[in-house]
Amino acid sequence: MRNATQHLRTLIAASLLMTPLAALAGSGTVRVIANPSVKADAISAAELKSVFLEETSSLRDGSHVEPVLARSGSVHESFIREYLGKTDSDLQTYYRTLVFTGRGSMPREVSSDSEIAAYVARTRGAIGYVSPETSTEGVKTLAILGMESDGNRRLITRVEPVYPRELQSKHIGGTVRLRITIAPNGSVESTELLGGNPILGESATAAVKRWVYAAGPARTKTEIVVPFDPSR
Amino acid sequence: MHRVACWIFVFLCAGQSLLCGQDFKVLDRDVQIHGFASQGFVHTSDNNWLTMYTSHFGSGEFTEFGANASMQVTDQLRIGAQIYDRNLGGIGTWHPALDWAYAQYKWKPWLGIRAGRVKTVLGLYNDTQDLDFLHTFALLPQSLYPIDIRDTSIAHDGGDIFGSIPLGAKRGTLSYTAWAGNRDYSQYGGVAYLIRADGLNFNSVGGLQYGADLRWTTPLKGLLLGISRMNVDNTLNYSITEPGIGTLLLRSNDNSDWTNQYYGQYTWGKLLVDVEYRRSWDDAGQTGLSRFQEDSRGWYLAGSYQILKRVRVGSYYSHYFINFPLGGVEPAGTGHDYDKVLSGRVDINRYVNIKIEGHFMDGYGLPGATPNGFYYVNNPQGLRPNTNALVVKGGFNF
Repeated sequence: MRNATQHLRTLIAASLLMTPLAALAGSGTVRVIANPSVKADAISAAELKSVFLEETSSLRDGSHVEPVLARSGSVHESFIREYLGKTDSDLQTYYRTLVFTGRGSMPREVSSDSEIAAYVARTRGAIGYVSPETSTEGVKTLAILGMESDGNRRLITRVEPVYPRELQSKHIGGTVRLRITIAPNGSVESTELLGGNPILGESATAAVKRWVYAAGPARTKTEIVVPFDPSR
Repeated sequence: MHRVACWIFVFLCAGQSLLCGQDFKVLDRDVQIHGFASQGFVHTSDNNWLTMYTSHFGSGEFTEFGANASMQVTDQLRIGAQIYDRNLGGIGTWHPALDWAYAQYKWKPWLGIRAGRVKTVLGLYNDTQDLDFLHTFALLPQSLYPIDIRDTSIAHDGGDIFGSIPLGAKRGTLSYTAWAGNRDYSQYGGVAYLIRADGLNFNSVGGLQYGADLRWTTPLKGLLLGISRMNVDNTLNYSITEPGIGTLLLRSNDNSDWTNQYYGQYTWGKLLVDVEYRRSWDDAGQTGLSRFQEDSRGWYLAGSYQILKRVRVGSYYSHYFINFPLGGVEPAGTGHDYDKVLSGRVDINRYVNIKIEGHFMDGYGLPGATPNGFYYVNNPQGLRPNTNALVVKGGFNF
């Protein structure tokens, strides 16, 4: 009886631990990857949506792009919900409408994250999405711009960072990742550099501290990516 | 019935691997091949419907199929063509036709052109009404998308200018299509069927059509609003053959016919709601001989909900009213068809689906004046005021 009770407690404890983990997995953190032929290091959420909905087949910098999708899975569901605003059923209907009215093609579909990564690595202009755990050898990871709003706190004022001239002239660029804390009144209370060039990080931090979000009921934390493109 | 059984057998036996689109290369460019087919069965309680003899044992004379090939030549240029055939009772009768065939060049998302035979964008579904697998319903609301005369407004030989203009995060996106070209009624469509049923010879109907569609994807998530306008100048060529006298050729000209359509669509999770209104005005005749005017108005409200991953249920109310103030052959009068519909769709997999649908109709339009599903020639006993129909349909696409 005692063993049974202990077993039950273990099960309850395990299920309590599992719940937030399952929720986290369901929220589907996604990494957007591209073939190295794609010049950009970052892509806006709107442009990413246009690429996957076949509204455009080249980025603003002129890079040719073509989407590759997974047939199913939690990463696929998360990606199309967060970035395309559609369910899988809606998306299939959308692509079939394009195909059978002559306005577009059925995009490439593969079965797994590793197949997406392999396809993106060998196909010029290919752009896809994988889970963060997937090996991304031979591909580049694109930062997604326009996702600074964390769902509850809309970005109202954005100040662009100063690009240090010396770094830009030497074509030193990339992206800077920051974790920021937003105060209830919408100001950026604190920043923490998570990745990127330290000098660019300083410039990004100085700019982001002047950003203003919509007011909210409590202090919130979010991660943002700031791009530095030396060609611009 | 044998044909129905054959199709069901094909659906069940078709392996998923066979149902994937096929790709091959031409001049190092990918060519995609896709296709679809469906088979329906219709049984009605009273009147025979859609040129089939449906009121006894039902009819399986409801077969559709199509296939297309397309190629993305460059980032901006794509070409393609599709063959389509619908056989519905006395309509179609196994005569496949070129559905669309055009080249599309897209400079920017906000500016592109298409030239060739192009599907006409009019309201939510005019250009996709034949693609059964895209819709929850086996039959779209007949007040706006009458299946027996789909050929009259489905495509034009000419061109489109189209594009989408983002208005900013707070204002949504505006999409436009403006088009012009020649329309040509099928020799095997509902209009030809009606004219031949009257003992006349159908030669041709066609002429210039031009118009535009403007749709606004609003900033309110899931809400789309739109408006379409089409102008038509048709010429009908037909003849009467009298034994001992010969054949008399006749021509009837339309005088600036038009159609206005207003629509809205709302998607919220698994719920889809559509509402559309269409008004069409026809003014036709032969100078000094005969003239008729026709004012038809239709609207519908449709809703569907995905209750399971592969099951969707839906319902709509379709309202059709025709006023025939100045008769030619048909005396002046009015007619209506109000249709209440319940429907269910099951997707066996991504490629195969089955639908079952009930129609409860009040009225039958004005069959002598314009086709709307019911024809005197199929109902020699006379038309009764109400018709219930069961529609079962299965199809696949790849």
